[in-house]
Amino acid sequence: MNLVAMPILLPLLTAIAALLLRADTLRRGIVIASCAFQVIVALALVILTARQGPIALSIGDWAPPFGIVLVADLLSSIMVALAGIISLASIVYGYLELPCRLEHPLRIPLTQFLMVGLCQSFLTGDLFNLFVAFEVMLICSYALLTLEADDWDIKQAFPYLAINAVGSMIFLAAVAFAYGIFGTLNFAEISQRAAGMSDDPRVLILAVLLLGVFGIKAGLFPLYFWLPNSYPILSTPLAALFGGMLTKVGVYVLLRVFGTVLPQDLSGLHTVLAWLGGVTMLLGVIGAVSRNFVRGILSFHILSQIGYMVLAIGFFSPYAIAAAIFYNIHNNLVKSSLFLVGGTISLLNGTDDLKRSANLWRATPLLGVAFLLLGLSLAGLPPLSGFWGKLMIVQDGLRQGEYVLIFVALFTSIFTLLSMMKIWNASFWTQDASVPVRIHDRRWIGLTAVTCTMALLTVAVTIFAGPLIELSHQASEEIFKRETYIRAVLQLKADRGGVVDQAVSVPFEAVSDPIDGTSNPWLPEVAR
Amino acid sequence: MNLARSFIFTRVAIFLFFVINLFSIYLLLRGHNHPGGGFIGGLGSGMSLVLLSLAVGVEQMQKVLRVDPVRLATLGLLVATLSSALPMLWGDPFLTQYNIKIGGVGLGTPLIFDIGVYLVVIGITVRLIVILARPVEGLCSLTPIERTRYASEIEKPIDQPIEQKIETNWGGQG
Repeated sequence: MNLVAMPILLPLLTAIAALLLRADTLRRGIVIASCAFQVIVALALVILTARQGPIALSIGDWAPPFGIVLVADLLSSIMVALAGIISLASIVYGYLELPCRLEHPLRIPLTQFLMVGLCQSFLTGDLFNLFVAFEVMLICSYALLTLEADDWDIKQAFPYLAINAVGSMIFLAAVAFAYGIFGTLNFAEISQRAAGMSDDPRVLILAVLLLGVFGIKAGLFPLYFWLPNSYPILSTPLAALFGGMLTKVGVYVLLRVFGTVLPQDLSGLHTVLAWLGGVTMLLGVIGAVSRNFVRGILSFHILSQIGYMVLAIGFFSPYAIAAAIFYNIHNNLVKSSLFLVGGTISLLNGTDDLKRSANLWRATPLLGVAFLLLGLSLAGLPPLSGFWGKLMIVQDGLRQGEYVLIFVALFTSIFTLLSMMKIWNASFWTQDASVPVRIHDRRWIGLTAVTCTMALLTVAVTIFAGPLIELSHQASEEIFKRETYIRAVLQLKADRGGVVDQAVSVPFEAVSDPIDGTSNPWLPEVAR
Repeated sequence: MNLARSFIFTRVAIFLFFVINLFSIYLLLRGHNHPGGGFIGGLGSGMSLVLLSLAVGVEQMQKVLRVDPVRLATLGLLVATLSSALPMLWGDPFLTQYNIKIGGVGLGTPLIFDIGVYLVVIGITVRLIVILARPVEGLCSLTPIERTRYASEIEKPIDQPIEQKIETNWGGQG
């Protein structure tokens, strides 16, 4: 099914076209049309995978152990669709914010290359290809961070570059290690061969390495310091894209690797993951409260929200994974819309420093309503979309008896509300005659329109929370019972006359349940 | 700035420029079944251009190359992408390759893909070196035409006074 390759191919072609064309209105039209088409393709992929289960494509018609496969299961398609929606919103916002003459001509090509990397990392079914996708994504993000930067910004961007370069190196080492253990890098095949190897210290080391790498990418507790200072230097639309999607790739990969690839009974590591999530959310929200400019607050909130999702992954039950997926849907939209609100605030007040902004409620009540909806949704007030995700996480935590972590999560919610109210009070509610509101700059109308559209989208997530939670449950089911995923990939191998591992004919329970190490033929002599 | 160059070095480098390029095309063509291919061939050809820029100066080298290196890389990317996307038209998987034999010489679509890679690598190598080498020779790092294509007129879209930037720092005043 070539549809799986389309989310990668379309942004690639768009980027090439954008590099060849002059930065004018025509190019903008083409880019927007392409982005809209990407959203349509991604939604088609979601519908298709929801109905038929995972779709796999062997690139270049090479069978899995040698060729690379692209696999779209429900989780990947949901992530691709979210990336498409957020990139469309961010590009439209960028177009309304700056005229063609002032926009950096490389911004659009780089954003599209970034989308290539994003979609590839969501769709790939191969560990090394995941590394390549990460590199594509990271190199574009380095360039985008420093595209319109001055000296100060470059100083802030440096930790981002340094830590991610080190992370990539460890990732590459981990990939080599995985190949050494399993003799394959295909997710489905690793998943088969690793089942029952959870006692093997090498698998544990691999899991810890991968946890470290993806923890860096997601901004997890000990190694999160690169994030909150580097994101505020981005211009608003890029911050929305980065904040909405880029760190979530780390969460997605944690879900994929711990859910689909590695053995499911690494319970010690799952506990570590949950605690790391808990600490991250607490420190993130404390950082957010301490900041006094909108982008800074929101950048710290990225960490805190990542903490929630990782906490849910750490609980590691089908219900908690479904919660993480739903929370992801909600959070990507809300977070990027909040960055867009922050951009509109800084356009109207000329700054997003909370001390020097005021009067916005009187000037633009609509923006205020949008901000309230988004901010309260982020804090998790019922009945907004954030509430349902948090409710599911808390329910599962209580069921598993993790009372301390649940307390931390609820505590974090209160502080989230506090920091959102900080923005609300300073920018919207305060009246200060000395602060000008640049209402004559007509660009704010378009920007508010984009922001409100995104806010409406999150309201739609609230209204259709039922079907979306069902979708998340289906996606989590797919992750947990790897049967359909593995079958989709190995079908490609069987079609080309390849020798399929014995486990494909074994009933699913035998694959996923912890089995005696001796029955696993992939275990070397030492471990037997 | 007028760098004094050794006459011997300049002559030898100009001669080697052709030899290296010939060898890089040989590497490109043998890449299908032997060590070589578009990437390594492109690196060779890019290096020959770098050598030329040392011998005759960056500006002169850019006159020899004639095209904007980023355009060259983009063209290569386009060739590679189209050659890999083409099989999708008749329903074969993305990146499927076709090989035929004409009179004992194997030809195939991987060669088109490889030529694309070759161009990308030349473009990027030259771009990286030129942007560093031009300031060394006292030139602006972007040519005027590149400035219209790859540079922006403004530094920052959002007005951000310096005091606030200090607050962004970890050790700054809270």
